[in-house]
Amino acid sequence: MKNNRLKHKRVLWLFLLPGTLLYLFLFAYPTLSGLFYSFTDWDSVSPSYNMVGLDNYKDSFDSLVFRKTLLNNVKFMLSVVIVQTVVSLVLALLLSRNTRTRVFLRALYFLPAILSSVSVGLIWSFVYDPTIGMLNLGLRGAGLDGLAQNWIGDRRIALYAIAAVQVWAHAGQMMIVFIAGLQAIPGELYESARIDGGSRFQLFRKITWPLLAPSSAIVIAYTTIQSFKAFDLIFVMTDGGPNNATEILSTYIYHTAFGNYEFGLASAGSMIFLVVLAILTYLQFKALRTDRAF
Amino acid sequence: MTGKSGKKLRYLLASGALALTAVLSACGGGGSGGASSDGSVTLNFLHWRGEDVKALDALIGKFETANPKIKVEMQTLPSDQYQSTAQAKLSDGSVGDVFASFPGAQFDALAKAGVFADLSGSAFLDNFNADLIEAGQQEGKQLAVPYQLVYNDPIYNVKLFEKYGLTPPKDWEGFLALCQTLKDNGIIPIAFAGADIGPGQFMNTMVMNNEPSDDIFTKVEAGEAKLTDEWWVKTLTQIKELNDKGYFQPDALGTKDAAAGALFIQEKAGMLASGSYQLAQNAAQNPELEQALLAPITVSESEAKYEGVHTSTFMLAVNSKSKHPEEAKKFLDYLSQPEAAGEYANATGQNVTVDGVSYDSPELKIAEAWTGKKTLFQPRFTIKNGDNQKAVTNSIQAVLGGSTPEEAAREAQAVIDQNLSKS
Repeated sequence: MKNNRLKHKRVLWLFLLPGTLLYLFLFAYPTLSGLFYSFTDWDSVSPSYNMVGLDNYKDSFDSLVFRKTLLNNVKFMLSVVIVQTVVSLVLALLLSRNTRTRVFLRALYFLPAILSSVSVGLIWSFVYDPTIGMLNLGLRGAGLDGLAQNWIGDRRIALYAIAAVQVWAHAGQMMIVFIAGLQAIPGELYESARIDGGSRFQLFRKITWPLLAPSSAIVIAYTTIQSFKAFDLIFVMTDGGPNNATEILSTYIYHTAFGNYEFGLASAGSMIFLVVLAILTYLQFKALRTDRAF
Repeated sequence: MTGKSGKKLRYLLASGALALTAVLSACGGGGSGGASSDGSVTLNFLHWRGEDVKALDALIGKFETANPKIKVEMQTLPSDQYQSTAQAKLSDGSVGDVFASFPGAQFDALAKAGVFADLSGSAFLDNFNADLIEAGQQEGKQLAVPYQLVYNDPIYNVKLFEKYGLTPPKDWEGFLALCQTLKDNGIIPIAFAGADIGPGQFMNTMVMNNEPSDDIFTKVEAGEAKLTDEWWVKTLTQIKELNDKGYFQPDALGTKDAAAGALFIQEKAGMLASGSYQLAQNAAQNPELEQALLAPITVSESEAKYEGVHTSTFMLAVNSKSKHPEEAKKFLDYLSQPEAAGEYANATGQNVTVDGVSYDSPELKIAEAWTGKKTLFQPRFTIKNGDNQKAVTNSIQAVLGGSTPEEAAREAQAVIDQNLSKS
């Protein structure tokens, strides 16, 4: 009987095999080979390469462009995470109740999330065009000429202009996560708090926000990773320009590997990217621990 | 192991093996064709010009009829993907008996990896204009033959120029005066796509007469010259002057290629800072448009060395790992015949580097007229390192964004110095 159960267990382990193989083949192997190539000077074409130790990591941190890229990524991430979390939370609070209008508005705000980021980038490139773009034409038409800007051409604001597009494209998606969290909060909690004389703000601070912590953790972690990987949007809208003002880690890695044919250096950039993301995600989950007693 | 559980396990292992085989075989991919039992061979032709497939299919059909033992399978990848993945596919010889490459960084990387077969001495090279295929040479060997010819000189609106009594100027003062006349008449002098292709295109004609030697960017990359030297600072100063005087459309740095093109097509701009490749598209969108090419001369007439800039691209080559190099050369030989090249040019709207071709369309004839002019191979493509190339075009964006030419040049030189310290 015991023997049979053991055999049965072994068979069950085999069910993990296809998934494990796919994981090893599609994730572990590329990551490990990326790590290996980060210690080489391979150009992605030549059959041979040299081992260069930590030179690629040193060159990355010495590089003016790489340092600017890292800084851009932090600015982009912070802008997107803060604005997107607030906007999606506000939208969720306004639209969490299931009425016909609210359900329609939810669908409307979610719509940009189903567009491909390349289409979003192309659409917004035209919207932002300083001469024929809808945004500046609208502002000038409304007599707000002073607010018309060179949105993606001015290096001081280009990164934030793209961050706004990222928020536009994904806030609706994050709103759905918050709505799911809001709808899971038992109504009785609010009822008893109201009986005890709690104000709207107190209800939000003492009930809604703490009980939304799991949703917030998901939204913030997802938005952070998403903002680090906003490759297609930047690639389509500015390709990292003007003058590297919108270059972020993912576009830098692409340009280094496939524009400069410095695969080893790009692999080192990817490894740094991986470590930065892992640290950030860990810190966020630590900060937004969902098992904390409130 | 016996009984039901044994059977189940065997079934499971067999299923797993099957799944793994399916995964691995899916990763396998095609590969360059071999010879069949009747002695016929299949060539794989890899390139990025999806828009030329129809024209090339027709040519391949004729080639196969004339050479029944050679079959050509054409494979195209989008140009971005081609830049990023073709080299890996080509270097193991699995595809691309005949393939195309971009001049500049990709050509250099492929040459370094030994992917090109040496075409030197092939009789078909005589069919090409010798000056225009120099871009496919390295260390005295002809590694590839650039097939397409582009003039990277601004396009101008002939009717608008005639209306205001303007002719292509012969020096910098004349160019500034021309821009001012257009501006005074409410016309944007130059539509400039500063957000994408503009800096990389316009820098070529702006630097061609300022640079002290044709290989100046090679010297910059070798550390023998600097972007902070007078010739590049002067080029940046002149570009800034055009911007500061309002000769580009407002906020040019935020304008993309399509929007700049629209300004020219709608006849709101007198010139478009792009190249001959844009002529056919402009004509298709505004058939009333009469166009010609014009390069700004940034020096006095007596100091001008060049009248414009050309790029020979779509560099056709034979893979050194090809199992059928002779058949591959035969295919290149066929494409280099004036009749075949003419058919390709007229069907695709692209000028070619082959001599003796007769062009049908007015746009192709505009560019053809430039073959007699003294033009320089696109200086930007002589910058081999992509990072350095970007630093150079970034310095143009920097001056348009408000930096001084000296600051912008210093910033770009810092990137080049860093790359020099790596090599």
